[in-house]
Amino acid sequence: MVDTAVAETAIGREPRRRVPRLNVLTGVVCGLILAGAGWGVSSWLLSAGDYGADRVVSITMVCWAVGFLVGVGALAGPIRWLLGRDLSVADEHVLAGKDQGVGRYFRFTTDHKVVGVQYLVLSMTLFGVGGLLAMLIRTQLIRPGARFVSPQTYNTIVGMHGIIMIIGTIIMVSGPFGNFILPIMIGARDMAFPRLNALSFWLICAAVPVLLATFFFGGIPTGWSVYAPLSDQAPAGMDCFLITIIIFAISSGIAGVNITTTAVKMRARGMTWTRTPIFVFGTVSSVALGVIAFPMFMAAMVLEGLNRTTGTVFYDAAHGGSAWLYAHLFWLMGHPEVYVILLPAFAAVLELTPVFARKPLFSFLGAVTGIAGIIGLSMFVWAHHMFISGWAPALDGPFMLTTELISIPTGLLILVLLGTLWRGTVWMRLPVMATFAMLWNFIIGGITGIYLSDVPVDQAMHGSMFVTAHFHFTLMGGALTGFAGALAYWFPKMTGRMLDERLGMIGFWIIQIGFNVTFLGMFAVGLAGQPRRVADYPSLFATGNLVSSIGAYIIGSGALIYLYAVVHSWRHGRRAPGNPWGAKTLEWQVPTPVPLENFTVLPVVTSDFYGYGEGGSAAPTPAPRRIAAPVPSGAAATTQEGGTA
Amino acid sequence: MTDTLTTAPADAPGGPPTVPAWKRAPIAPILGIFVVLCALLTPFALFVPAHLMGDAASAHMRGIESTVTAFSLASVPVAALVWAVTIYSIIGWRHRGSEPPAEEAPPLRGNTVVQVVWLVLSSVLCLFLLIWGLAVLRPTPSAASAGQPLMVEVTGQQWTWSFGYPDNGNATADRLVLPVNQPVQFRVTSKDVIHSFWIVQMGVKVDANPGETTLASVTPDRIGTFDIRCAELCGLYHAYMQTTVQVVSADQFASWVQAQPRATS
Repeated sequence: MVDTAVAETAIGREPRRRVPRLNVLTGVVCGLILAGAGWGVSSWLLSAGDYGADRVVSITMVCWAVGFLVGVGALAGPIRWLLGRDLSVADEHVLAGKDQGVGRYFRFTTDHKVVGVQYLVLSMTLFGVGGLLAMLIRTQLIRPGARFVSPQTYNTIVGMHGIIMIIGTIIMVSGPFGNFILPIMIGARDMAFPRLNALSFWLICAAVPVLLATFFFGGIPTGWSVYAPLSDQAPAGMDCFLITIIIFAISSGIAGVNITTTAVKMRARGMTWTRTPIFVFGTVSSVALGVIAFPMFMAAMVLEGLNRTTGTVFYDAAHGGSAWLYAHLFWLMGHPEVYVILLPAFAAVLELTPVFARKPLFSFLGAVTGIAGIIGLSMFVWAHHMFISGWAPALDGPFMLTTELISIPTGLLILVLLGTLWRGTVWMRLPVMATFAMLWNFIIGGITGIYLSDVPVDQAMHGSMFVTAHFHFTLMGGALTGFAGALAYWFPKMTGRMLDERLGMIGFWIIQIGFNVTFLGMFAVGLAGQPRRVADYPSLFATGNLVSSIGAYIIGSGALIYLYAVVHSWRHGRRAPGNPWGAKTLEWQVPTPVPLENFTVLPVVTSDFYGYGEGGSAAPTPAPRRIAAPVPSGAAATTQEGGTA
Repeated sequence: MTDTLTTAPADAPGGPPTVPAWKRAPIAPILGIFVVLCALLTPFALFVPAHLMGDAASAHMRGIESTVTAFSLASVPVAALVWAVTIYSIIGWRHRGSEPPAEEAPPLRGNTVVQVVWLVLSSVLCLFLLIWGLAVLRPTPSAASAGQPLMVEVTGQQWTWSFGYPDNGNATADRLVLPVNQPVQFRVTSKDVIHSFWIVQMGVKVDANPGETTLASVTPDRIGTFDIRCAELCGLYHAYMQTTVQVVSADQFASWVQAQPRATS
């Protein structure tokens, strides 16, 4: 409280109070007001003509997003700076949520741990919505001729399931664990740019209502790939979709730059690259790849938005444009994006496996090489999504080669997992279950990917349910499984409580069984020739689809159990000790709950963190007198003795 | 403690020198699981995917089915190896209880031989895939020497297919009929959005793009009725954009195409 008193005399009462009073509610109110204003003005001035409705919807949605961000306090820092009253240290502490209790989770809070928890809740909410839509899809497809929803609604549901899950999985590891865990793991007191960190989160919060508004403006009939020129025909729901993607691309760019800078510049003394935990490599590779990839999607959406609101013809072949241009921009993002999703989840599994096998990571260098190889190659494979587009048959061979080459670094990562398990003493706790499930699922996902990389086989399989089953095996069976493991692993540190192991195990394995039933059935109908994204199908495919739908309901019930385990443990779980797994990385060496600014004394690292069974303790040596290390938020000289949970 | 990333031999100097490292590893049970998995997966790979894909109606589709079978067979040992180690680690190396194991496991930090063998094997497999794929992709000599292919114009529009026969006096039809054993070249385009022209049993698939014409070739070699489906989401009734192709004898085809209306332009 001494700090606060000093701050009040230093900068006066009013400016300090103005920051924390804003929260998500003021954001919504401000967003709605500005959206209403935008809607009124644009319908008065711009609603005439062919493009009127699209203009009005686009402007309204942009106004909502801007209003929401202003109302939630995202611009408090820049505005104060423009006014010549830049934030003081005490202001930064208020902004970081010091002594604000639960309320700080509903504010523009810069503490990386708050942002991490916010991301966790957001991504799990998105999984809830996306999963519900998946249940609707499988209900529609439970038997041929079912008319559970109309084809129009069905197409919208398919597209929304896709994009919600894509956003949810992109943020699921880099968001919660990249924000909460990564800075502690590298021995930093916060992210490099705490305000940008909060901004990246609240941008997504601004985008999600826009995305959900799609349902109320006619939906999208295009799937989440929104291929042109079908997207030109779409109702105004498409404009909501475009705005969502543009906002999300900005958010992921900001988050990517922030996490990358943090990991490059703010590692503890002595933490050379070879002593940096593998999770940091996976997350940084992923978000840095996202920084390169997402602007492509954003550009594609900007051009499509111009087509829809001003009548440009970027994707219209009859007027000199090209539909293939859209496909290229989309897949230049689309293929790196699957590695943006996969790598941090895979790296989390690589991080937790040594802890539970009580062995060093088998070939750290191999793991880093694997990640780097995947990142490098992922930029050169996009056109395998266009083998049958007729775009350039002469390039089929080269893209087949680059795609198949990816199996080599991926295989290296599998080897590292197997080598880490090899002759280990595998402690059978919930997190390590993800390792086993991933080794099963990802082998299936990887092998079926090899079929699709082969051009002749792709001529039979492209656009079929086989593709759908394949990428669910990699993204759900691989990445989402890795997320479930990472959540179980870091749950004690993030919430201060142990995750209910029994319920968690039951939920986890029910999900895995249901998952395999669902998508093995889908492989069968795909091989037999069922196109994907269909609202109905011939009776030939009835058995496989029934199996898939039953499997989907099994996944749904397993997910509910896992969710219950998470929510219940979060509120009533057993109190977690600081280091329940006996792990060696830095995040387990700080107390739980983690105090504001994490470390009273910044650690000095003298070895890597995988020295299990090598004798001696790999716990870092704290250097008692070194507290003047670079610290963000201008909070340099303060050493926090405690913090609020 | 030093930062050891280089290979640490499994039996480090100072450890028990009598038993070499590989003997301490449970090679026999893992090999057993591996053999059992291979025995289960090999018949699956041999018969199940090809059976699901159904009877082919062109040499091209038979090539695709044999590719799927070959890739499945090649991946059997890979999957079996990974799963054998995984399964054994669950059974043989597990430690139960709420406390971490008292004794930590041997600190194996990489093994150069294993890593090199693994990389070489995966590269060889990759090369096999590439060469196989290029070989199937190569135009077959028989198709090239069979003379002029029958040209068929395919036009997609929401949500139907129409067909034109420019070699047969611009006959047009709303269903596809093809003569057996005659090479066919499809010239595919669209009037509105992107569709994808897919003859399931012939392994023919190419996008129908508005404003562009794309090509696909096939020689149907079985008389019968086969499925055409749209394989690219094209809007409201995408699911119902399907029809059939009838493969008939050359004589039947000639009389059928005579009876079709002619395009006016």
